[in-house]
Amino acid sequence: MKATLVMGTACILAAVLPFVGSEYVLSFTVQLYVFVALAYSWNLIGGYAGYTHFGQVAFFGVGAYTGALMMDAGFHWLVAAAAAGLSGALLALPLGGAMLRVKGPFFAIGMFGMARVCESFALGFDNITQGGTGIYLLPVSDLKPLYFTLAAIALGLVLLTWRLDNSRLGLQLLAIREDETAADALGVRTTRLKIGAFVVSAIAPGAVGSLYATYLSFIDPMTAFAPMTELTTIAMVLLGGMGTVFGPLIGVLAMSVVNELLWSRFPEIYLAIVGVVILFVVLWMPRGIVSFLAHRQWSWVPVARGSLRRLASRPRIAARPKEAH
Amino acid sequence: MPVLELLIAGILLGGLYALMACGLNLVFGVMRVINFAHGDLIAVGALTTVSIVAGYNLPFAVAIVVVPLLAAAIGLAMQVLVIRRIADGPMIMSLLATFALSTIIVNVSILIWGGGYRGLPGVLGGSFRFLGQDIALSRMVSFLVAMAATLGVWWFLQNTRFGRAIRSVSQAPELATINGISIDAVRNVTFALGAAMAGLAGVLLAPTFASDPQLGARFGIKCFAVIIVGGMGSYPGAMLAALLLGVIEVFSGYVMGQVIGSAILFLIMLTVLLVRPRGLLGLGVRA
Repeated sequence: MKATLVMGTACILAAVLPFVGSEYVLSFTVQLYVFVALAYSWNLIGGYAGYTHFGQVAFFGVGAYTGALMMDAGFHWLVAAAAAGLSGALLALPLGGAMLRVKGPFFAIGMFGMARVCESFALGFDNITQGGTGIYLLPVSDLKPLYFTLAAIALGLVLLTWRLDNSRLGLQLLAIREDETAADALGVRTTRLKIGAFVVSAIAPGAVGSLYATYLSFIDPMTAFAPMTELTTIAMVLLGGMGTVFGPLIGVLAMSVVNELLWSRFPEIYLAIVGVVILFVVLWMPRGIVSFLAHRQWSWVPVARGSLRRLASRPRIAARPKEAH
Repeated sequence: MPVLELLIAGILLGGLYALMACGLNLVFGVMRVINFAHGDLIAVGALTTVSIVAGYNLPFAVAIVVVPLLAAAIGLAMQVLVIRRIADGPMIMSLLATFALSTIIVNVSILIWGGGYRGLPGVLGGSFRFLGQDIALSRMVSFLVAMAATLGVWWFLQNTRFGRAIRSVSQAPELATINGISIDAVRNVTFALGAAMAGLAGVLLAPTFASDPQLGARFGIKCFAVIIVGGMGSYPGAMLAALLLGVIEVFSGYVMGQVIGSAILFLIMLTVLLVRPRGLLGLGVRA
């Protein structure tokens, strides 16, 4: 109940913000929504299915370019964003088919390379993408519809994750993460589910990439495929808690503050700090902040099998009354 | 098409790839950890070489000796402080940890050396004629040193007692433990060795390529392509694939232009993943 109340208040705040907030607040919130969308998409494949995804920014960038080129051709930015989302999914399908069929680290390597290859294509095919100069778009006169579209995507992804977390599908994804062979043996269609989760997780980054390009009214390879986007998203999900409903949200809020303070002035220090945050979480806090905030261990499943065993050997705290989340 | 010229250029490039990829593959074989910071150790090696040779006016040979030791020290620190704690955990954790280390190394390097490109003009300059082709001295020296190091490590793995211990930990860690091999010691040495190979590769590419702190990602992807095509965990597979991919990269760059050429290794890697995931000589990834 409490969580619903907080969510409701946040939604109302978000709804009135563009009418009362300053330019600065608005730009901060737009950034926030972009990262919420990216973090929740990453959480689907990285948190739930347990596949390390180092190339989400490829979909963001491809979406940004698809959208920018469509808008350049005269389409409305909303149509462009939809097409960009579709382009993300279409790119993810063959990639997932190639890299998720085999277990292990191939996916991580493949997506890591994919982002850099997409960037070099955006730089190299300069007759289409204008290369390093970038594409300049006509600025949108009223930012409010853009703001609400981004907010809707972010909210939609949070609700989707909420729904997924309590569903059979979500449990099947978690089963893939914990032990893929066992999940397979129990009849979970692992390959199909993995590829499905990957494709779904590519739609929002594509769409958001296009919307972000609309917001900036400019896109170049450096912005579209910035490693900063990738790293920040991963750090956000990890810090909040992988494979949880509210973890990414908390991670986004926490990291956005650091981002706002450091990114524009000290980008190297910011990125090094992001690295340290990831390292810290991996070594000492693999379940993220949410496990500290709420000892509601029934709402999420531990990250590692080792911690699952540790959890099983501990007296259960789950006897406390179950709150709605 | 100047076939012979391209072939020689490809093989010379491939020798350098062999040194980079074999270090990465060695670490993967023993620890089942993909080191995303491997490319960044190469970058640190190259930038340190530029500092030593251009900054302190010391001979290039000093860099060949000092830089691999430095890289080994960094690698050992990474292993002892971070990777040792999570190597036996779920793979996602070690991937994230090495990815984070890579980020830290890149950005600390930018803080130290700045973001721009640095070259080593005049070091190992000049060229000589071989098979009727003009070959840059720096490329030839790089190739020879890289191949010597790669084959030297290969000999070490095959013929020494410690090398056999490394291979046994890579192939059957449980049996290795039963036979009294200290897995921790083997892992530490292997990680340091892999890092030293990355550092040496950095030294060798400094005279030929312009170095910047971000070169790790560019060469890292090529290392990944090499070990996937060659077969993860297979040392001879990586050597073979490195030479093959070096030649393919040079030829495709000539035929299809710089843009496709730069991505061709990645596309080959994807194809291999689809058609033959275990690679040319791979043992397959142990579950």
